[in-house]
Amino acid sequence: MQGWVTLALLLSLGVKRSLAQNGLGEPRGLTLNPDLPAQTLSLAWQSDSTLFDLEIFHTEFMNVVLNATVEVQADPVTGLHSWTWHSPLPLECTSHSVRIRARNQQSVSQWSPLQTIPGWDIPEKSYMFPEDKMIPVGSNMTFCCIVNEKEDFKEIKYGRQEMKATRLSRRSYAITVTNQPASDNTGTNVICSSQKFQMLTGTVVFVGYPPGDEGLVCETRDLASAECSWKKGRDTHLRIKQSLTNYTLNGRDCLEANERKTWCSSKMWEENWTLEARNPLGTVQLTDSAQLTDRVHLLAPVNVAAVKVEAWSATLQWSWSVAAYKKLEMVCQLRLFAHELSSTRNYDGPGLSSVVLEGLWPDVDYTVTLRCGSKHSFWKWGDESAPYRIHTKMDRPDALDVWMWMDSSNTGHVFWKPLSVRKSHGALNGYEVSQSSAEEDGRNTVSLPPGNFSYPILLNNSSDVTVAVAARNPAGLSQPSTVTTPAYRADSQLSVSELLGTNGSFVLSWEPNVSASSGYVVEWFPTGCTGLCPIDWKKLPESDRSFTVNSDSLVAGVRYTVSVYSLYTSAPTLLQRWQGYSQEMIPSQSVSELSLNQTGSDVLLSWKATEMKQQRGFIRGYTIYLASAAHLDLIANITDPAVQSYRVKGLTLSSYKFVVKAYTSAGEDAGATVAIKMEMDTDMLFVGILVPLGIMFCCIILFSIFFYKKREWVKKAFYPEIPGPKVSGDWSSPRGPLDVKPSPHSLVHIVKNPEWDFTKEGLFPVPEEEEESENDNMEVDTDSDEPALLRYYNQVVGDGSHSNQVSDSSASSTASMGSTQTEITYAGIQSPSSSQGAYSGGGYRPQMQSVTGPAEPQIEFEADFQDDGLNAGYKPQCSWQLDSPEAENFSGSLGSPTSVTSSQFLIPESSEEKPQPSNTWFHNFLSGKS
Amino acid sequence: MAGRGTNGRHGSRGHAGRTAALARLLHKECIQLLELYRNSESLPSSPVDGGYLVSIPPLVPQLSDAEKISILHAALKECLRLLEDVITREDAEFSDEDSEYKRKWKTVRDRLGHLLASTEQLLVEGQKFEAKVKEELDGQAVSGSFRLKMWIVRVLQDLVHWTGQTSDTLRSLPAEVEKAPKTMSRRTRRGAEKIRK
Repeated sequence: MQGWVTLALLLSLGVKRSLAQNGLGEPRGLTLNPDLPAQTLSLAWQSDSTLFDLEIFHTEFMNVVLNATVEVQADPVTGLHSWTWHSPLPLECTSHSVRIRARNQQSVSQWSPLQTIPGWDIPEKSYMFPEDKMIPVGSNMTFCCIVNEKEDFKEIKYGRQEMKATRLSRRSYAITVTNQPASDNTGTNVICSSQKFQMLTGTVVFVGYPPGDEGLVCETRDLASAECSWKKGRDTHLRIKQSLTNYTLNGRDCLEANERKTWCSSKMWEENWTLEARNPLGTVQLTDSAQLTDRVHLLAPVNVAAVKVEAWSATLQWSWSVAAYKKLEMVCQLRLFAHELSSTRNYDGPGLSSVVLEGLWPDVDYTVTLRCGSKHSFWKWGDESAPYRIHTKMDRPDALDVWMWMDSSNTGHVFWKPLSVRKSHGALNGYEVSQSSAEEDGRNTVSLPPGNFSYPILLNNSSDVTVAVAARNPAGLSQPSTVTTPAYRADSQLSVSELLGTNGSFVLSWEPNVSASSGYVVEWFPTGCTGLCPIDWKKLPESDRSFTVNSDSLVAGVRYTVSVYSLYTSAPTLLQRWQGYSQEMIPSQSVSELSLNQTGSDVLLSWKATEMKQQRGFIRGYTIYLASAAHLDLIANITDPAVQSYRVKGLTLSSYKFVVKAYTSAGEDAGATVAIKMEMDTDMLFVGILVPLGIMFCCIILFSIFFYKKREWVKKAFYPEIPGPKVSGDWSSPRGPLDVKPSPHSLVHIVKNPEWDFTKEGLFPVPEEEEESENDNMEVDTDSDEPALLRYYNQVVGDGSHSNQVSDSSASSTASMGSTQTEITYAGIQSPSSSQGAYSGGGYRPQMQSVTGPAEPQIEFEADFQDDGLNAGYKPQCSWQLDSPEAENFSGSLGSPTSVTSSQFLIPESSEEKPQPSNTWFHNFLSGKS
Repeated sequence: MAGRGTNGRHGSRGHAGRTAALARLLHKECIQLLELYRNSESLPSSPVDGGYLVSIPPLVPQLSDAEKISILHAALKECLRLLEDVITREDAEFSDEDSEYKRKWKTVRDRLGHLLASTEQLLVEGQKFEAKVKEELDGQAVSGSFRLKMWIVRVLQDLVHWTGQTSDTLRSLPAEVEKAPKTMSRRTRRGAEKIRK
């Protein structure tokens, strides 16, 4: 144990010995001297060494904020070592402790005792540091908030931004703001708040820029003193009074200069000028160097006045407020403002104070301003004088531009152009027109009010008339302008050329004329105009051979007559005349009187051209369209405008609509429309009807004659003689009712049926006559499937509404009901006439319908019989046999309630036995009977 | 007579009504001015700690309405003084730039002058009350620009408070009080003397 203690003592002695041997003594007398606004801490100490280790702590938490080795030489006078530390943190924020030791390579001395400067986090109050600091934009800064004992720290806000705080001591908190932006008007507020109060304490930081002024220029206004001005540069963003920029000019304070006024004056001119602009964040120096004579900026002339004003000139005078100007060689600029007459004139001379203004116009209001500058080493124009008004006097008007236009051989108008302001030289009172002729003495003078620009001329005889026109204003009468009546030449008397406009203008050229000693006149007016026409003209010198009538005086779509006259001492002579449009347009109106005329299948369209006013261009032709529902089909393009008709050929019978359009070089007009419905030609119609009729009539006649001539042949060929019936017995009994004992089969079987209900409808055979009467023209359809429907009708027996024949027949039937042997007049013997209907319809047919039995009415009653009785040529068909098998077939019809056995004689099928009608007109015709 | 009396009352009532309306308008403008200032300075909307700068005797119910108006008139006078002081300080501290806030300052100052002149006609003759300002700017612990800003906020808070008080008092003013504005009842005078002590 004793051995260990001995070893420790020996080691301790060894270390002390080694330190003593190094010669590094502990720094002595360390003192701290804080500069709170500058946030610096100055350290001073005594030591023999030059290399020191430094350590600075935040005392309360002993956080090391600096641990550095520095080399510091001792002050030769005081022998003290001094070193200054710039603290990033305001020294008030918390207490700082410092210690120091000497170092020699790896050997170090003992640390000096800790020296501490107290922070403000000791008293029981709230603070925030630093206060009212001014820093450049982009700087970094640390703020601290010291809360008092009773408050709990909550946050620190930089402006509206909440910052992250670090704790420096028990009551002190800090934030560090980097790259700070420029502040608003009254600085950026940094506010520290506690849990209890939203605003515990705070501070303001002013973040801005150093001065940015530039462009210093010095000049003199009075040839003695100096006025220096410069341009304000970038906004410093420092609004607090103590941070505003201060200016000095050549070391002298420039009190008049501030944020808005950027000029400074000096009583004496100095060739070199230095302006220093300073604010808490920095300083800027601006320099300028110049001779006084090079920087003369004259003041404005004063008392400007016109001392003598004439019609064409005026004398202007002024004075100077600086006496030194009188010897200065200067140049003055005079600016004249008037309506369309503005100009700028320069005058020079020493101490210029009056000028004569030449070249003014009479009766014009001028406004004059004046400014001057140094002629030698001109720097800039001086200030401009106040405007001064001059009104020049009037003068006689200029001569008028006069022209005479003849609209007939003895009538015309003299025209003159109104005078412009420059030429009237004062408001005109009127015009004087005087007329003279070679044959009459004296002049007739007429005064006209100022609004007149023409006067009618009437030629009483063939001599030329000379007219003189002069304008009058208060200053007097102008020189008279004379013009002699030109010879009237109608367009028809001339070969008028067609003139095409070029870009809305007329470009004219003509052959020179030797007689045009006084030049030429180009005249233009709307073609066809009479009376007071808008005549325009231009007088040209004799050297001119061409002229362009500008579009300003021309109206598009109006035809103009343009004439060139040569001027001589006598009357103007017409050289050439044109007519043309400055710009052609499509016709405003379609062709007129459009009509059409049909000739067979052709249609002739004809029209008349529109009037010239509506043409609005030379008519180049016409286009003819066939209009359909949707479009127009061009059928012709007539390129000759003189052709005003067109024939459309080969039209079929239909409706047509034609559109005719006139066209100019600008295009077609809207078009005129005409419609037609093609009809058959009446002559041809007659021919078409009458010729076939005539031919047919002739054919009928020829056929008639032929057949008449060849009737025997025809008879033989088509109608051979029918042999007469062979009668075996004596058929020459007297005429009268034929009492024929009918066979039992031919009797009408009276069926007694007591149960028969007369009110009950039944099927009855309809007498043929009735049917025929109802259907005279109806062809009997024996092949029809519906014979029963045609032959039978629901009929109440005993109904007396039948025809007489039916009634008769019924009567006879009824009469026969009384006995079994009923006398019946057989009228049913078929004669050719009775079966005419069936015969004419389909030729004779044997009555084979008997198969249908009772459905086929075959009864011919007395009326028929009587008719037949009249036919003397009738011979009973003796071949008819009562016992014929056909008769037997009648038994099949006995089943009907009123079964009537047909009494009609059936014609045998053999042609020989066919009864042939012998009394038809054709038969007669062929047989030669009348 | 009755008619004249009525007219007289109505006339006084009308004046008191106009004064109340003026106080109400001024109160609104003071609120707007405080809001404008807080917005332009990015300050929290909570009131600055420290209470009102201007102090007056408590407006106890025993006081007559005329006495209350007299006391409030004294407070408003102090407010006007503080306001003018603020304008002077602000002009001295910061460059004079035109802004809505500055224009409002001047409007409030002028209207406050009108309100003082108007309420003066409602005061009891011979009665004078004085209000006190607890803290002046120069005596504040906080220094620098931030101190000035906080003081401006406090002045504005006082303006809002006292114009509001005046507006409420004038609005609740009964008609008979204005019958004899230049005379004072014995009871009222005694109450006022008490307060003065």
